[in-house]
Amino acid sequence: MLEIRCPYCGNRSQNEFAYGGDATIKRPELNTEVTDQEWDNFVYYRKNPRGNHLELWHHISGCRQWFKVHRNTATHEILKTLEMKENL
Amino acid sequence: MSQDFRINNCGLINRDKEIIFIFNGKKYTGYKGDTLASALLANGIHLIARSFKYHRPRGIIAAGVEDANGKVQLYKNDTTEPNVNVTEVELVEGLRIESQNCWPSVSFDVGAINNLLNRFFPAGFYYKTFMWPKSFWYKVYEPFIRKAAGMGKASLDPDPDRYEHRYEHCDILVVGSGPSGISSALAAAKNGAQVILAEDKPRFGGSLLTDNITIGNKNGDEWVNDAIAELRSMPNVIVRGRSQVFGYYDHNMLVMFERCKDHLGNPEIFTPRQRLWYIRAKQVIISTGSIERPLVFGNNDRPGIMLASSAKEYLKIYGVLVGKKPIIFTNNDTAYETAIEFKNKGIDSIVVDTREASNAGIVNEAKKLGIEIKFSHAIANTSGYKKVSSATIGKLNKTKDGFESLSELKCDCICVSGNWTPTVHLASQSGNKLKYDSNLDTFLPDQSRQEETVIGSANGTFTLKKSLEEGFNTGFKLSNEITNNNNRVPIPISDEKEYGEHDKFWCMPLPDKKHYKRFVDFQNDVAVSDIQLAVREGFRSIEHVKRYTTLGMATDQGKTSNLNGLQLVSDIEKKIVPEVGHTTFRPPYTSVTIGTIIGREVGKNYRATRKSPIHNWHEKNNGVFVDAGLWLRPRYYKQGDETLHEASKREALNVRKNVGVCDVTSLGKIDIKGKDSAEFLNRVYTNAFLKLPVGKARYGVMLREDGMVFDDGTTTRISENHFHMTTTTAQAANVLSHLEYYLQIVWPELDVNVTSTTEQWAGAAIAGPKSRLLLGKLFPNEDVSTEGLPFMGYREFKFKNTIARVFRISFSGELAYEINIMSDFGEMMWEEIVKAGQEFNIQAYGTEALSTLRIEMGHVAGSEIDGRTIAYDLSLEGMLSKKKDFIGKRSLSRQAFMNEGREKIVGVVPLDKKTSIPEGSYIVKDPNAKLPNPKLGHVSASCWSVEYDNPFSLAIIKDGKNKKGEKLYAVSPLKNKTIPVEIVSQHYVDPEGKRVRS
Amino acid sequence: MQKYSVFSLIKNALTNHQNWDVVWRDPEPKKEYEAIIIGGGGHGLATAFYLAKYYNMKNIAILEKGWIGGGNVARNTTILRSNYMHDANSLFYDHGMQMWKDLSQELNYNVMYSPRGILNLAHSDAQLNAYARRGNSMRLNGIDVSLIGREEVKKMIPFADFTSNARFPIFGGLLQPIGGTARHDAVAWGYARAADDMGVDIIQHCEVNGFDIENGKLTGVQTSRGNIKTKKVGLCVAGSTSLLAEKLNMNLPMEAHVLQACVSEPVKPLLDGVVTFGAGHFYCSQSDKGEMVMGGDLDGYNSYAQRGNLPTIQHVLTEGVALFPNLSRLKILRTWGGVMDMSMDGSPIIDKTHIEGVYLNCGWCYGGFKATPVSGLTFAHTIANDTPHDLSIPFRLDRFNTGHLLDEKGLGTKTWIS
Repeated sequence: MLEIRCPYCGNRSQNEFAYGGDATIKRPELNTEVTDQEWDNFVYYRKNPRGNHLELWHHISGCRQWFKVHRNTATHEILKTLEMKENL
Repeated sequence: MSQDFRINNCGLINRDKEIIFIFNGKKYTGYKGDTLASALLANGIHLIARSFKYHRPRGIIAAGVEDANGKVQLYKNDTTEPNVNVTEVELVEGLRIESQNCWPSVSFDVGAINNLLNRFFPAGFYYKTFMWPKSFWYKVYEPFIRKAAGMGKASLDPDPDRYEHRYEHCDILVVGSGPSGISSALAAAKNGAQVILAEDKPRFGGSLLTDNITIGNKNGDEWVNDAIAELRSMPNVIVRGRSQVFGYYDHNMLVMFERCKDHLGNPEIFTPRQRLWYIRAKQVIISTGSIERPLVFGNNDRPGIMLASSAKEYLKIYGVLVGKKPIIFTNNDTAYETAIEFKNKGIDSIVVDTREASNAGIVNEAKKLGIEIKFSHAIANTSGYKKVSSATIGKLNKTKDGFESLSELKCDCICVSGNWTPTVHLASQSGNKLKYDSNLDTFLPDQSRQEETVIGSANGTFTLKKSLEEGFNTGFKLSNEITNNNNRVPIPISDEKEYGEHDKFWCMPLPDKKHYKRFVDFQNDVAVSDIQLAVREGFRSIEHVKRYTTLGMATDQGKTSNLNGLQLVSDIEKKIVPEVGHTTFRPPYTSVTIGTIIGREVGKNYRATRKSPIHNWHEKNNGVFVDAGLWLRPRYYKQGDETLHEASKREALNVRKNVGVCDVTSLGKIDIKGKDSAEFLNRVYTNAFLKLPVGKARYGVMLREDGMVFDDGTTTRISENHFHMTTTTAQAANVLSHLEYYLQIVWPELDVNVTSTTEQWAGAAIAGPKSRLLLGKLFPNEDVSTEGLPFMGYREFKFKNTIARVFRISFSGELAYEINIMSDFGEMMWEEIVKAGQEFNIQAYGTEALSTLRIEMGHVAGSEIDGRTIAYDLSLEGMLSKKKDFIGKRSLSRQAFMNEGREKIVGVVPLDKKTSIPEGSYIVKDPNAKLPNPKLGHVSASCWSVEYDNPFSLAIIKDGKNKKGEKLYAVSPLKNKTIPVEIVSQHYVDPEGKRVRS
Repeated sequence: MQKYSVFSLIKNALTNHQNWDVVWRDPEPKKEYEAIIIGGGGHGLATAFYLAKYYNMKNIAILEKGWIGGGNVARNTTILRSNYMHDANSLFYDHGMQMWKDLSQELNYNVMYSPRGILNLAHSDAQLNAYARRGNSMRLNGIDVSLIGREEVKKMIPFADFTSNARFPIFGGLLQPIGGTARHDAVAWGYARAADDMGVDIIQHCEVNGFDIENGKLTGVQTSRGNIKTKKVGLCVAGSTSLLAEKLNMNLPMEAHVLQACVSEPVKPLLDGVVTFGAGHFYCSQSDKGEMVMGGDLDGYNSYAQRGNLPTIQHVLTEGVALFPNLSRLKILRTWGGVMDMSMDGSPIIDKTHIEGVYLNCGWCYGGFKATPVSGLTFAHTIANDTPHDLSIPFRLDRFNTGHLLDEKGLGTKTWIS
């Protein structure tokens, strides 16, 4: 079981959290022209790296905050967790 | 037989307490402190089981979890358990065991014919045959093989026992209580660390209990007892015996099971059978010791042939002689201790040693005691069907690939030692890439990946002095890093026997022209010839060899066979072992009872059951419940002998005619506050929400970003910056997460807060032409007229001492209201509604009537919003704002979503107005068309229209827009139904929506 | 190829099995191949076999970075079925089911195809209706399947929880009689042996590190054993697809996730067919050896580690015991994990790419094993003809642009929710 540091609550076991996938995809702005390719990239296409991965987790059985986790997908090692407003 | 092989004045068992057990129908006795294995051996029983493939007679080969053969079916009280290791079961009253995988009995087993035919059943034989005639594999051969498969029998009954989970954090978890484990626990605990010491066996001490050593001025078990007593007295230490750490997972999470009950004679009623511990440790010390390897020689699998160290353990801990005429067969010095222990008890053994000589102190001691030693000798073969009775031994030639001479030696047991394999499983599970040590001929831990340190013989440290040093030093160092304390415990002086080098030779040659089976994996009957065959056929990777031969895949998971197997592959391939590599060590280290892994989530506790505050009323009024996710909702209220169909018809009709009340508590409710709430909702919903007036509700549809309809519901503006959102029961949690995602990640600049209030409010829908009258009676002081509370209006009415939220919204299509009240008042409110409604002929209605009402109105629900439909398909395209952007809008311009002939929801009525169309039917043009028959679409929901008293269904069909009036067929091949139907509007009742506005 | 049969087995027994041929050669890579398949798993081996058999391409190599049959074909729960709702899926997988019937004979290797039935249990009327939708769709596609009631289910699995203690009672189920299992290792080895026999070079321990592309056309691959020329390369590397695609500067609609499975100790026959639990995500069958083979949810986060964590196993087994309370007293022998290509609509991708000569076979989620023959066949067709096979047209990559998605579960792009 992973141990994840929620930036607001501290270290908790994985079963308090829900996964949210790739944190690097950015939703296109509302009311802007978006090409098909840009939109598909947002909805469907993923980098899917083996190694360090910036991803979203949601502390659903806790403070209900979404935050970012920098985690290695090959070893599961967590390098860092960040609030949404923080960057690596 | 009465314990003929038990000797006096020896062992740690309690001879005052005799215990009876039954083996294959016969009564035997043992003592408290015995395992089933030691008690069987005390009675001279070696033949315990039959092997998996050849049904060869097999006995106990070890004294712990590594035993490969001694699996039995265990019966106790009313329960049974298959494949139980006799070496692991502590003797208590009431045990009955039976040999498994044999018929009619373990001593005469018909299946042993496989052994006579074994030359036709080499590794992988089944891949090469049983292919003709074609269907015979699964019609004839496989059923036969399946019948023969398996070992013990699974119980068919639910498990009467209970299991618990416990979560712990600690500074240092020490796994294994041998010399290095105990000393590291002592050092760490005395330096202030929070320590957990776990030992698999009932007795602490590991090799200290059986080796002839001293620590300080104490012998092994005295030192262990004192050390464990001291650890137990410390508040910062948890000491657990009978506790197997079986998994090393991510982020230093280890998992252990503790056997709490089976060893107790009279357990208390609530004692769990086992307890699972999830332990998050800052540091882990792996002191799991090592396992002796068997030697490989002709017919090395007979009952009575066992590991030398195990023979010593049976003698020293249990006072049991595994034989009275032993041969000790070894390639190293450690087995000499077994010979000496036998000698001390007056038993003369013969040592057969593959080495030319050894000058180790212990060998000289054996010589002095007059023990006969045959150097440069090996066992070529053994005899004795149900128990070994003699060995063919011979002098090895210089190159050790043959024998110079052979002779017979009578014996009643053979104690073998092929050197030691460190137990590196946990380190490997943690991610440690192992390295091969060519001096020790074994894999050792290399670089730690997580916070683990391997010490003692698990780390290849085979002397007591060094193990103690490693233990004390590691315990101090790791605790110092955590506690910053500097309390060092002095390392005690120890004394032990001196051992020399082992022989790298472990697989005995066959005498000329002999084809004896030399087993590597006992339980799965994998012999040297099988591994040779696999390599000869080109299965070179160790994983291929394992899978082709099934080496190491039995219930012991190759604890005694894996290393011999891969040494053999490397010998055949003339490669060094590290080139061959090793198979992966997977959790669990030893098999774990499924109940233990689960804990308390069984039966009704498998998932929480959510009940509305009105649940008791439904129960009292013959509500028949249905699972809606985790919720239990009344499906209908049974009157007399009514069927579901009759009751739901009655309830629905009463709504259309009079008034009904329905519990809608389970609908998701989300409270939304903040100055940007309207803007936020405007982005979340496909339709406009910015200008929703205070005191008004609006139906809204939300999409996923991929354009599919996600959920629907009504949202009410309670005040300028305060909204109340409802979701479907099924999507309540997902919608909340969805909203939080956008608020926290995508639009953090919006000032909005959301929180679930589902449990906070009890909800009742009152629906029907008389619902206004009822509402007026409930709230006599309020204006409930259509002016005072118009369609989609919202008011807060005083109700008793609280406030009721009243929404004029409708799912049934009738004039209807939804009343929400704080949950604690839910039941009271409901009773008031029912009381006040008597004069209007109110009836409660369940989800089935609710469905009927919404279907004939053409309202969509979960069976239409199934994650695969877009708004157009559901005729919700009118809800898509053209003026503003919203979540998922951009996806709607995909080619497939714009397709003119796309599916659309329609109504379907059977032409005969009688035959109900089963849900899940398809609409086709020609029911007799050749398969695959092209489908126009599927029937998503069906009901008996109470308005028209005939069946009505909703369907989503291709080009539904243009299909109205067409005569088609609804087919359900599963139910053998073909129903001529007409396509009509989805809005079967009140298409103009007059009633809701009345 | 030395023919395998009961006669050859007896003959070889008399010479102590000294004279069996090697199952496949261990060749050095040549300088050039007509086509290269990357990935010596089930799909790669099958693709090479059908390329050689039906498309007359003999100068083919399979490049495998480890040992063949070591990826997901070695790690799955061996279930065969075609009980899908979407036409594209059910017709595709059912073609595969027909291929399984003859596979042992076709390969002269007993892959132990065993149609003992697959039963999806329903725990409410609504779920039965959802299964009816799927089952009727199958029937209209000519696939045998039936809806059975609680009493019939009870006859098949009497030890399931039919008491009032069940949290989610069993209402009935959808039974596909032709569903079942096959021996996973045998599938890989059988294809390998047959492909090798037709001249396909199976090259193990040969990792592809890059691609040579000139003017949008493939000219060769760079490997740990040197550069090899080829004009066609097929990727059959489920679990690593995105990593190789990255070397082609391609992003894919896919995430890698770990899926665990486990087996109990072997017990005497208990469960004949395959059973799935409808109130959660749990499936179970009993192997010919007697082990209960069980699986369920993904661990639920991107992962390339072939290892999972215990809570997922706990979750899966909790569902298992909710269905079969007697399993509680059995013991788990072994757990393991495999890395899944989780595509964004849950269906596979079989297609060409924007680079001429580069072909994709990926995104199998947790359903790849049963597709091995039909995937190999349709992918071989795609590679040989540079155009999709009729059955695999719906599995093109552009569906993520056009909206012709194949989402069986309706869960959208959250691949980790199962």
